[in-house]
Amino acid sequence: MLLLRQGRWALLTALFISAAHAQNFQSCAACHGPDGNSTIPGTPSIAGQPRIFLENYLVLTREGLRGNDVMRGLLKGVSDKEIVAYAVYYSKLKPRSPDLKTDPKLFNRGKDIAAKNRCASCHERTFVGREQMPRLAGQREEFLAQVMLEYRQNRRPGGDTMMAAALYGIPEADFKALAHYFSRLK
Amino acid sequence: MNKTAFSLAAASVLALSVQSAFAQDKPKPPPAWHQGKPAALADSKLAPVPGKMTETPESEIPISKMKLPKGFKAEIWATGLVGARAMTMNDDQTKMWVGTRGIGRVYEVTNEGGKRTVKVAAEKLTQPTSVYANGALYVFAIDKVLRYDNAAKGVSGQPVDMTKAFDLPPMQHHNWKYVRVGADKKLYVPFGAPCNICEPEKEYAQIRRYNLDGSGKEVIAVGVRNTQGFDWHPKTGELWFTDHGRDWLGDKGPEDELNRLSKPGQNFGYPYCHANKVVDPDVAKGKKDACKDVTLPVTTMGPHTAVMGIHFYTGTMFPKEYQGVAFVARKGSWNRTNKIGYDVVTVKAGADGKGAKVTPFATGFMDPKDNSFWGRPAYLAQLKDGSLLVSDEQLGAIYRISYEAPAKKK
Repeated sequence: MLLLRQGRWALLTALFISAAHAQNFQSCAACHGPDGNSTIPGTPSIAGQPRIFLENYLVLTREGLRGNDVMRGLLKGVSDKEIVAYAVYYSKLKPRSPDLKTDPKLFNRGKDIAAKNRCASCHERTFVGREQMPRLAGQREEFLAQVMLEYRQNRRPGGDTMMAAALYGIPEADFKALAHYFSRLK
Repeated sequence: MNKTAFSLAAASVLALSVQSAFAQDKPKPPPAWHQGKPAALADSKLAPVPGKMTETPESEIPISKMKLPKGFKAEIWATGLVGARAMTMNDDQTKMWVGTRGIGRVYEVTNEGGKRTVKVAAEKLTQPTSVYANGALYVFAIDKVLRYDNAAKGVSGQPVDMTKAFDLPPMQHHNWKYVRVGADKKLYVPFGAPCNICEPEKEYAQIRRYNLDGSGKEVIAVGVRNTQGFDWHPKTGELWFTDHGRDWLGDKGPEDELNRLSKPGQNFGYPYCHANKVVDPDVAKGKKDACKDVTLPVTTMGPHTAVMGIHFYTGTMFPKEYQGVAFVARKGSWNRTNKIGYDVVTVKAGADGKGAKVTPFATGFMDPKDNSFWGRPAYLAQLKDGSLLVSDEQLGAIYRISYEAPAKKK
């Protein structure tokens, strides 16, 4: 049933995507997983991310303002229309995080830090994200920790500067606890 | 190399790398963004409104929803300018350049034969804006200043990198810049406070002016949280500028401001004194006379309305009552339960700033019934025929507002 539903989205999406970029979809799956849930360290899961967040990321990466060389290469010359189609497609897929071993102490520390810094006021109480603000729940742990560090160091330009401002002064050890906590949420 | 020298060298390399690791985390962090968010608002879900990063075709712009006073009419003038903000034009108005924020582009609009075509003039920049002066286009990003010479007929070729001359501080938050060249042939450049509420370092929360080559830096206004636009009064030549009030003090304010600089060096209050003498509850604690020597606004502009561009109307197409009047774009609120702004207003005031009256002019971008909106008016520009252009940052479009007197009944 799930496959069927996903199949329908894939079909709908395919209508908007040119043959030249159909290849790109396979490229997405190669790293982000066939269902948008990544099993590769350092590569984020994209299933169930808010549509606007995905759109923004893809546009900024195409513009060379964000992302890495691989993503920039893949997105070269991709039209706005196609970007919207990718964003719609992946926002509809179901996030599935693997069952990971949880360190209860680290998890609770992460939970406290998240509460203290009011992460939920933008990322939603269950950390599923909304609009331009990404889903954190079930995201890969090492990816989250890395991204937070890059934000704090002003190394993730192009997005809203609010996120960088939200992380000023938070020590790296706290990012690890936050990442542990978010990655264990479903 | 003897052993001691070697280990010394190794130690200094290590020290250097440790230093640069620290340097990456510099400058000193201002307080986190939620500072000033009281416990009562801890669960508030208010967050900045997401912009739109993809093109909006003309057919998807509900321009008919825009409401204007009798006799005025709006049309779509240009589209495809994702994230369009401040506009600047060459002398004959055949070329316009439009800056953006997130998408990092400066667009060039060619206006010829009653049609507009759009191309990207500069890209991959961090929140760029531009201003045309003396035949050149000056592009200001947060970390860069570029000058494209001989731009009157369009930007081409490599720019001159003038960054070093301008001494730009590194923080990004609130540091997109509205830049203009004054009658004094100087560049006017603002530097916002890189936080919601904090005591910022001395290079922020101010407006500076420079000679066109970046020399002669002078701070002309301090205590300015985040100005997003300014213009010179057509009679007095004084600088009038908008400024955003701080967030997280509730739905009622402190209100945004329209200020007037009557002499260089004036203090406009941030971070201690907001709007009309609202003393800051976080950073002005225990401070007596937080509003002493603070220049208060010509008028407040509504709570969280996000006042952007201001333009004194100098044309004759619009009726007499609009001539010499300030038009101000209010992009619209995020830090407020019920949305407010999302319009263009007029501010009628004496040349000395007294007796200011704010009146809605272009409305209908936002529907108070369900808090929804379709457009966010950001900046204003005047065409030679006296019509007024309004950029819409949300839909990446420019609208033209013109006036025709209703036919008199015979």
